[in-house]
Amino acid sequence: MTATLDAPPAVLQGAAPDRRIRRQHRLAWIAKHSIAIVLAIMFVTPVVYLVLISLMTSDQALTSNYWPDTWHFDNYVRVFLVTPLPRYLLNTVIYAVLATAFMLLSSVPAAYALAKLRFRGRNVLFLTIICVMMLPPQVVTVPLYLMWARYGLTGTIWPLILPMLFGDAFSIFLLRQFLLTIPNDYLDAARVDGCGEWRTLLRVVVPMARPGIAAAALFQFFYAWNDYYGPLLYTGENENSWTLSLGLASFHSVHHVDWNLVTAATVLTMAPIIIVFFFAQRAFVQGVTLTGVKG
Amino acid sequence: MNKRIPHALLAVGAAALLAAACTPAPKQNKVADPGTQVSGTVELWHFFTEREANAIESVVKDFQSTHPNITVTIKSGQDDSKVTQAIGAGKGPDVGLSYSTDIVGKFCSSGAWVDLAPYIKRDNVDLNKLNATTRQYTEFDGKRCAMPFLADAYGLFYNKDLFAKAGIAGPPKTLDELTADAKKLTVKNPDGSLKTVGFLPLFDFYENAAAHLAPAVGAKWLTDDGKSAIAADPAWKTLLTWQKSLVDWYGYDKLQKFRAGLGDEFSGDNAFQKGQVAINVDAEYRLAFIKDQAPKLKYGVAPLPTTDPARYGAGYVTGNILGISKNAKNPEAAWELIKYLTTDDKAIVKLANLIKNIPTTTASLADPALQVDPDFKAFLDIFANPNSSTTPPSASGPAYQETFGTFLTSWQAGKVKDLDAGLADADKKVNNVMTLGG
Amino acid sequence: MVAGSIPQKKPLRVRLRHHATVLSFLAPALIGIAVFFLYPLVSAVYFSLTKFDLLSVPQWVGLDNYKRMGEDPYLLQSVRNTLWMVVVFVPVRIVSAIGLSMLLTQLRRGASAFRTIFYLPALAPPVAATIAFVYLLKPGTGPVNTFLAHIGIQGPLWFNSPAWAKPSLVLLGLWAIGDIMVIFLAAVLGVPATLYEAASLDGANAWHRFRYVTIPTIQPVILFATVTGVIYTLQYFDQAAVAGSIASGQATVGAGISQNFGFPEGATFTYPLWLYTVGFRYNALGYANAMAVALFVVAFAVTVFLLRRSKAFSGEES
Repeated sequence: MTATLDAPPAVLQGAAPDRRIRRQHRLAWIAKHSIAIVLAIMFVTPVVYLVLISLMTSDQALTSNYWPDTWHFDNYVRVFLVTPLPRYLLNTVIYAVLATAFMLLSSVPAAYALAKLRFRGRNVLFLTIICVMMLPPQVVTVPLYLMWARYGLTGTIWPLILPMLFGDAFSIFLLRQFLLTIPNDYLDAARVDGCGEWRTLLRVVVPMARPGIAAAALFQFFYAWNDYYGPLLYTGENENSWTLSLGLASFHSVHHVDWNLVTAATVLTMAPIIIVFFFAQRAFVQGVTLTGVKG
Repeated sequence: MNKRIPHALLAVGAAALLAAACTPAPKQNKVADPGTQVSGTVELWHFFTEREANAIESVVKDFQSTHPNITVTIKSGQDDSKVTQAIGAGKGPDVGLSYSTDIVGKFCSSGAWVDLAPYIKRDNVDLNKLNATTRQYTEFDGKRCAMPFLADAYGLFYNKDLFAKAGIAGPPKTLDELTADAKKLTVKNPDGSLKTVGFLPLFDFYENAAAHLAPAVGAKWLTDDGKSAIAADPAWKTLLTWQKSLVDWYGYDKLQKFRAGLGDEFSGDNAFQKGQVAINVDAEYRLAFIKDQAPKLKYGVAPLPTTDPARYGAGYVTGNILGISKNAKNPEAAWELIKYLTTDDKAIVKLANLIKNIPTTTASLADPALQVDPDFKAFLDIFANPNSSTTPPSASGPAYQETFGTFLTSWQAGKVKDLDAGLADADKKVNNVMTLGG
Repeated sequence: MVAGSIPQKKPLRVRLRHHATVLSFLAPALIGIAVFFLYPLVSAVYFSLTKFDLLSVPQWVGLDNYKRMGEDPYLLQSVRNTLWMVVVFVPVRIVSAIGLSMLLTQLRRGASAFRTIFYLPALAPPVAATIAFVYLLKPGTGPVNTFLAHIGIQGPLWFNSPAWAKPSLVLLGLWAIGDIMVIFLAAVLGVPATLYEAASLDGANAWHRFRYVTIPTIQPVILFATVTGVIYTLQYFDQAAVAGSIASGQATVGAGISQNFGFPEGATFTYPLWLYTVGFRYNALGYANAMAVALFVVAFAVTVFLLRRSKAFSGEES
C-alpha cells in the first residue's frame, strides 16, 4: 500500500460507514481545510506584498501605502535594462545545477557508508562531518578565499561549485538520517543475491530513499540559487560571473535603493524555483513503497 | 583509523596556511622622477551605482582624453570589505574609492594604501588648497594615504510651514532655542500619543548620530594620543544632559512608539518630508531627495544650533576618499588619476554638479560653474566653516563611535543613573574596543 | 556471506576488499573534510592566537584574544541573545514543522498547492523576505497592527520593541519554515503504512498512531533537525542584522547593517553579528577567530550531548 500525498492512507481515515462517524469526518475535514487556508493566507501575504512593491514607483516602495497608486508593470522591463539578468540567470543555473549534481555524487555514497556499512571510526567520522557545519562562515571564508586566490579562481563561480565534489556536510547528515530509516532486511536480501555494496546502493537503496534524496537535492538547489554571500565573496569583482542574488544588489546606491526594482528582480528570481518545486513535489509522491517486511 | 593520517593533514594544513597568511611586505614604491611619461592601465573600484556611477565614468573619460596613455577600467559596487579582502589576498584595485572614512586608520597604518607624501612632494601639490577638515580625515598618525573625493556636510532642516503655524520666526541658534522650538512645534493626539514632533531627540534616529551632533557643543572624540576623550570633555556631558531632558519631556516610551511608526529614512515616507518631524539633522544630499519626493515641502536649511555663539555655523563634515593600493601594478598612473580627481578644480566641479555632493578644494567652492542654490550654499558655508569637525580616523574603524552609540542607547532609555560614572565607564569600553585595531 | 554480522576474523583479502569498498564510498568526503574543514579549522585556531587585520602579517599574541573574550561586555550580551534564540527558535520550529507536515498529509484537495504555498517564503531571498515581513509588522501603519486594532487589540511594537524583537524574529523563522517542513514531510511520508495498520488493529486512535508510530519512526530526522537547528541558530546573523536595520528606519544604509547594531536596545545583537563587526569592521580578525573557535567548541559540546542522548533513536540497531 502506498502513501501518496493526495490521499491520506486509509488507516488515517478510519473505515466505518456509520452516519455519525461520517459527520465527524466531515467536521474534521472542514476544520483541517480551514486551518490550512488561514495558514496559507498568512504565509502568502508577505510574498504578495513583495509583488505589490514590484509594481509601484520607487518613491512609494517601503511607505505606509501598501497598495500601488499607479501600476508599473514596466518595472519588470526596466530590471532587464539596468542589469544583464539573463547572464546572471545563466550563472545561477550553472551554479545550482552543478552544485546539486556534484553534491549527490559525493554525498549519497558517503551517507550510505555512514548509515549502512560497518567500519572502525564510523562514529568519529560522522561526528567530524557534523563538525564541518560548526565553523561560522565568516571565519571559514578567509583562509579559503586566500587559497582560491592562489589558484586564480576568484572572480568565477568555481570556488562555489568545486567543493560540492567533495561532499556537503549538511546533505551527508540529512541523507544518512533518511537512509537509516530503510530496514536492513532489504539490503541483506540484495547482498544475499550477490550484489556488491555499490549495486546495493544504486539498485536497491536509492529508489527507496527517493523522498530523502529529493529533499536533499531540493535543499542544495535552492540554497545555491539564493546564495548571496558565496557569490559576493568569490565573484564580486567580476560582474560577468555574478548570480541573480548579487544582481539584486545592483539596485543599491549609497543613499538610495530602488526597492521596486529589487522586488521585481526578486520575483523574477523566485519564479523559476517555484516552478521547480511545484514539479519536484512529484518525487515525494512517487515513491514511498514500503511493502511489508520479509517473509 | 590510521593515526598517521590526521598528523599529516595537520602538517599540510599548517604549511598551506602559513604560506597563505604570510602576506608579502609592502613594496617599496619607487617614485619616478618628475616629468617622466606616465602610461599604463589603472583599475578603479568604487561602491556607487546607477546615476552616481555614471557621473564617475564621465569624469574618468575626461581624464583619459587628457591622459591618452593611461587607460582606466572601473568596477562598481565594491564596498570596503571587498577591497580589504582583495588587497589582503594580494590582488585588488589600483585605486580604491570608499564612501566612508572608516578604513583610513587601518589602511594607513598597515600600508594597504601607500603613503602619498612622496608623490605630493614631487608634484608640488599644495595641500592647503584642500579644505582643512577633509585633510583631517584622509590621514592617520601623520601618514597621508588618502585624498578627499567630494564631501558631505550636515546641518539642520526645518519645516517653514510648521514654523509659521507655531509662530516661530527663524531656525534655532542655540540648544535652548532648539528645545523651546521643539516643544512649541509638538502636537499631541487626543489620547496623549505624539502626532507631530518638533525635534526627535533619540540618538539612533535617522542621522542623529552623536558624531553629527558633536559640533553643537564642540565635543572631542579622541585625545591627541588616540585615547577616548569622552569622559574628560565636559561638552559631551552638556550634550547628553540636554538631550535627555528633551527625551524626558516627550516621554521615552511615547517617543519610541512614535518613532516606530515613522517611515524609512530614504523612502518617500521620510518623517521630515511628511511633516511629522519639524526639525531634523541631515546632510546636503537630502536636498535632492526633497526635490524628488516632496517638491511641495516648504523647508529651510540652517547650521546646527550651538552652545557657544562663536561656533555657530559649524557642522559635521565627512566624505569619500581615494587611495592607491599597495598591490597597484601601476602606482604612477594611479597617482595621476587620483591627482586629477582630487585637485583638478574643473573635474571636481563637474563631479559635484553631477553627484550633488560638496567639492573639496577652495577654488572649486568659489567656481561660478558650480551649480549653487541658496540651500546648497548654506551647506557650502557649513563645510567651509573653520569650526566644522569630523570624526578622527582610527585603526579600529568606527569602533569608538559605535561603542559610544551603545552607551547612548542605554542613556536615553534611562538605564544610566549616574552620568559621570557612565561616561567614565564608556571611556573604558571605548579604549578597550580600540585596542582591537592595534 | 553477509557483511559484518558474523563476529569472526575474516580472511585478509576479504577485509581489504571491504576497506577498499568503504574507502571508495568515502574518498571524496574525506578530501572535502581535509580541505574545507580541517584547513580552515587549523587556520582559525592559528589566527585566534594572533592579532590579524588581513592586511599585514599576523602577530602572535598567544591567549590574549581568549582573555579578552572573558572581559568583553558586548560578548556577554551577544551570548545571551544567541542562547535565547537557540532555546526558543529550535524547538518551536521543529514542533511547527512536524505539525504542518502532518496537516499536509491530511489534506486531499489542493495538497500540492498548499505545499507550494507553505514552502514559498523559504524560497524568497532572505533580505527581501525580511524586509517584506518587517514592513508588514510595522507598528504604526503596518497591516498587522491595523488589523489587530480593528478587532480591539493593541498590537505590540514588534521589531521596534526590545521585548518583542526576538519573538518577532521567531515569527519570521516560522514563516520561512518551508525548508525543514519539506524534510519532515519526506520523513512522515516514509513511515510504512503497515505500521499504521498494525497499530490500528491494536485499537490505536489517530493521536496514538502519531505518538507511537510516526514520532519514533522519524526520530532520526528529528535528531537531524535538532542538531542542525542548534548549529545554525548559533550562527544566526543575517535576518537579525537586516531586521534591526530596517526597523530603525535605515533599510538602505551601507551593506544593510546600520551603525546601531542590535536595534532595538541590543535585543537583536547576536554572537555572529558581533563576530562579523569585530572581524570585518573593526579589523580584528584574530579576535573574531577566537570567537569562532569558542562557538565551534560550544556547538561541538551540544552536538555530542544530543547525539549521546538519542543513541537509541539514531537507528544504529534497527
